[in-house]
Amino acid sequence: MSILDTLRTALHSLRANTLRSILSMLGIIIGVGAVVSVVSIGTGGQQLVMANISQLGSNLITINPAVPRGSAGRVQEEVRSVFTVSMAQEMEELLPDVMNVVPIVTGRALLVAGGVNVQANLVGVTPPFVTVMNYEVARGRFITEWDVSEEQAVAVLGSELATELFEDTDPLGQEIIAIVSNRRQILRVVGVMAPRGQALGGDYDMQLYLPVTTMMERIAKTRTVSYFAAQASSSERASEAVDQVQFFLTRRLGDSRRFRVASQDQLLETMSSITQTLSIMLGGIASIALLVGGIGIMNIMLISVTERTREIGIRKALGAKRRVILFQFLTEAVTLAALGGAIGVGVGWVGAQIIGYYGGWPGIISAESVAVAMGFSTAVGLFFGIYPAAKAARLDPVQALSYE
Amino acid sequence: MPVMFAAHNVTKVYDMGAVQVHALRGVSFTIDQGEMVAIMGPSGSGKSTLMQIMGCLDRPTSGTVELDGVDVTKVRDDRLAEIRNKKIGFVFQQFNLLPRLTAVENVELPLVYAGLGRKERRKRALAMLEAVGLGERVDHRPNELSGGQKQRVAIARALANEPAVILADEPTGALDTKTGDEIMQLLERLHEEGHTIVIVTHDPEVAARTRRIIHIRDGLISRDEPVERAKEVART
Repeated sequence: MSILDTLRTALHSLRANTLRSILSMLGIIIGVGAVVSVVSIGTGGQQLVMANISQLGSNLITINPAVPRGSAGRVQEEVRSVFTVSMAQEMEELLPDVMNVVPIVTGRALLVAGGVNVQANLVGVTPPFVTVMNYEVARGRFITEWDVSEEQAVAVLGSELATELFEDTDPLGQEIIAIVSNRRQILRVVGVMAPRGQALGGDYDMQLYLPVTTMMERIAKTRTVSYFAAQASSSERASEAVDQVQFFLTRRLGDSRRFRVASQDQLLETMSSITQTLSIMLGGIASIALLVGGIGIMNIMLISVTERTREIGIRKALGAKRRVILFQFLTEAVTLAALGGAIGVGVGWVGAQIIGYYGGWPGIISAESVAVAMGFSTAVGLFFGIYPAAKAARLDPVQALSYE
Repeated sequence: MPVMFAAHNVTKVYDMGAVQVHALRGVSFTIDQGEMVAIMGPSGSGKSTLMQIMGCLDRPTSGTVELDGVDVTKVRDDRLAEIRNKKIGFVFQQFNLLPRLTAVENVELPLVYAGLGRKERRKRALAMLEAVGLGERVDHRPNELSGGQKQRVAIARALANEPAVILADEPTGALDTKTGDEIMQLLERLHEEGHTIVIVTHDPEVAARTRRIIHIRDGLISRDEPVERAKEVART
């Protein structure tokens, strides 16, 4: 009996019991649908996070102040007094694998331009900021070394902030008043940044960038830096760069607990391990659904074998060998499972689209997850079909023929 | 005529746990090619068991069985299935057609298991249905056919692989007298065409239309005689 004949026979008897076939596939459909959509959600979410992180800048290293344990009462002063601008220059000069160290001072201010006022983040930076953060100027220019050394009252606007403050008029050359507590500082707009979007660490497009010296001396009135952003000389040297910063700052501050160094790689690793754990967990739950689906198929197949005992007897009397009967029922089980798997992929795709739509990431279904889902459901059909099929094949023709 | 079927001292014992049932206690006979034989006996006589053994559905406990020159006593299950497929055409009292298949698909079944291609199968099945007088109802399912038509489909199926023996188990048992008569006419015609036919029955009228009757009682052959003599015996 050819494979084609076996398949035809299997499809024939599945069609004869359409409702039951669909019901027995339901478990597999739900299981595969769950696996496919969960994996899609996992990868979609991961892609979103990864894109966010890599957008931060290439080979980015961030150096933040940290709170040493047991000094909870004095957090503010301790933390604030950790970093200085000169440390940025020292790190750049002394550490071989670290470059473009940008001291960053942040603060909130009320910005007034014309009749509009907007609350926004002010970010005091140095020129390499654009390189480190992988950020681009759309119009005008960015802050220059001269701006920094001369404490120039100039500002570069995030794209969204520019529209909020000036709407359709050209912001270049316009003046903004920045108000922090009682101090007012007039800033002249020299550039507008390209749109960047939401990224980890804030909305770049709603920020105002100005020379770090202007920020410290004229607006924030502070001597300390909020944090440093720097770059490793290459992605291969990223961990060496982190070690060097660690070594330098420990020597300088006398305590390794007062700062935290993070490279982009570490961040990526952490995030991907989180999403991976999540995927494995959800995948595990989905696999249980698949297992239950498999048991459902076995159940139906066992009923089917009992119901069709006489048919099996007739087929055997007409010369069907054990192997032929085994394959017939196994093919039915596998067809059920594979068909259920295929429908499940469709259901999962729809689910992924819907959830992706609300989650804000593309509802991608990878070929891998389809292959794994189909492979797994076929395997489930094989595994749970083998027992009923073997039972059918073992039937004694005399007894099967006299079965009522 | 060469011997088509030979049984030598065949016994069959069913082990029912506490009791052993001796269905056959040593049966020997031969059937030549082209014969038309009835196996008769009351229920419980062992005739069904004998039919199962002759049909290679079961093996004897002891003794030997030869079919078309091949000893089928000790062969494996799969080989038995092959022999059933090639050498034996079954006709059952309850027809035993597959309800979801059409008449022609039912007739094709043994050809499917023989490994024939699709076209060849269909051609032969249609020819067989034509031969039993059902050329017009080939695409009907069993529930759309009368009892006599179903039995004709079953006979066409039995003939499909050109078997050595046609084994009919109470072929008229589920039919009315007229239809039963038609089926017997068909079997007689097949006999005249040279087929070897064995009919298991408890109906003397059916048996009388064969050429030889083997009587079974309590697992033994009680009489084995040509029909002419049996008729005489019945008269006296």
